Amino acid sequence: MQGLKLPFIDNIWRVRGEVPIDPSLTADEAFARIDPLLRTPGTTIVREGGALAYAKHNPAAQDKLATFTRGRMWIERAGAGAVLRFDLFSHALLLCFLAPLLFLGFAQAAILINGWEAASTETSETAAAKKEDEKPKAVKTLHPVDEFLGAPAPDDPKKKKEEKKDEGRHSPDEGYVMAGLFALIYLAGRWLEPFLVRRRLRAFLAGSSTVPAAAA
Amino acid sequence: MAGVRVGKRIIGADAPVIVGWENIGKVEGGPIKQFVFTWFQPAMLLLAIGFWYYAPNWLAVASTAIAIRLGWTILLLALEWVNPRYESWQLTWKEFATDAFYVALGLTFLRMVDSYIGDGVIIEAVQGAFDWEKFSWFTGLPLLVQAVLISMIFDFGQYWMHRGMHNWYPLWLTHAPHHYITQLNINKGAVGNPVELFLIGLGIGGLFDFLPRAFLLAGAIGMTVSVYQHINVRFNTPRWWRFIFNTVEHHSVHHSQDYEATRSNYSGTWIIWDRMFGTCVDGEAEVLGMEGGRRMHIGETMIFPFREGWRSTRAALARRFGGGAAVPARLEPAE
Repeated sequence: MQGLKLPFIDNIWRVRGEVPIDPSLTADEAFARIDPLLRTPGTTIVREGGALAYAKHNPAAQDKLATFTRGRMWIERAGAGAVLRFDLFSHALLLCFLAPLLFLGFAQAAILINGWEAASTETSETAAAKKEDEKPKAVKTLHPVDEFLGAPAPDDPKKKKEEKKDEGRHSPDEGYVMAGLFALIYLAGRWLEPFLVRRRLRAFLAGSSTVPAAAA
Repeated sequence: MAGVRVGKRIIGADAPVIVGWENIGKVEGGPIKQFVFTWFQPAMLLLAIGFWYYAPNWLAVASTAIAIRLGWTILLLALEWVNPRYESWQLTWKEFATDAFYVALGLTFLRMVDSYIGDGVIIEAVQGAFDWEKFSWFTGLPLLVQAVLISMIFDFGQYWMHRGMHNWYPLWLTHAPHHYITQLNINKGAVGNPVELFLIGLGIGGLFDFLPRAFLLAGAIGMTVSVYQHINVRFNTPRWWRFIFNTVEHHSVHHSQDYEATRSNYSGTWIIWDRMFGTCVDGEAEVLGMEGGRRMHIGETMIFPFREGWRSTRAALARRFGGGAAVPARLEPAE
């Protein structure tokens, strides 16, 4: 989204942050340390002056940066300290943020279709009701083995009919639940994924050969 | 790779597959962990059957099944976290979100479409055409016998639909996206093109007027047996269980990158169908997927059967009538 200024909204899909690095490291040395984290199949890495930019094409499921398909990293020095700053872009977070809209859409579609169908069947309803009355369902009984073991007997099918309300063919509830679920998944991801990125970058920058595997 | 001969076939020539129960991994840990991960599957099956057998009628309804299913999924996700089968199948946030999308699509859009053209509608249409009363003796059988019959009849249909998908190109196109998954997790069963998910959901169990409780019991068998086919949990599955039922071991072989291995273990619940029809391979695999493990994203999964179908048709027409256009390589079915 270069060239487009969306200072607050872009926090939905962009993650910016920093991790402290050893000030004695040069930019080349720091980038060399995080290189194994970035260099995975389908990733292109470009050095632009003091910054490093990467782009991932269809990353593998276990790619440690799979959520962030594009990103830029650079070193900033202030006084005696230094930090690696990152600015990452995530298709997955953006799509996950939008997913509730899709499922709210399905819920609305369910209500709409129910409305249409109720309107079109109103006229033929009386005929259908009559037809149903013509052949009452037989009451079913349990096998003696089940009676002996104490399984509850089936309900009389006639009873149920009276209680049953016609709520339409489709239910919007699943759509609402899924919209809520995706809102939750988004919030969890927006917190978890930047946390994991910071942790992995710190581990790789520390240069310990064992830590990255544990953090990865 | 040399591969291993199983019947007339060589399994594991293209990609690593472990063949034979004596070679598969075991649960690592103390006696309590060993005990839990040996008996978890049978215990949960018994618990589910016991619940649906004795639950009073007001409780034995579909909405209870949905609530249980939700809690069950959360429990299984926790097991994946505690005792993964392979670290390389560890669930990530992105994989979870992706799987959830397919699950959600199944519960909303697919369910709506199903209510017009699904098996329920087809059954209703043909029910009047035959004298189904002849089958009414079914409903007089003991509940558990009815439940096992429902489950086995449904799975028999799934077996042949699934085998058909691996052997007939048009059906394969719908099923192929599901084979691009590169790891197994409990929600991966929902991953695939909606056309395939619709086809695999077709069953003839509804033809017979079984007792509602028998259907719920059959659902409980499915929930506590076939659910494990896509789970990333290491179990010491009892021998008798893996002889009768489909397991993640069997299903990982089916999903491996080895072509011959994918042509095995088609059933969803009852692996004995595969044993009967000569397609069972006992073993397990870690390296899964197609095209060397290329991950297929949601957009491609949605259009894949149509895009490849169009390409293949165009190529076939070009071959038949000429036209000189370069013929694109046809995607080889992994049958």
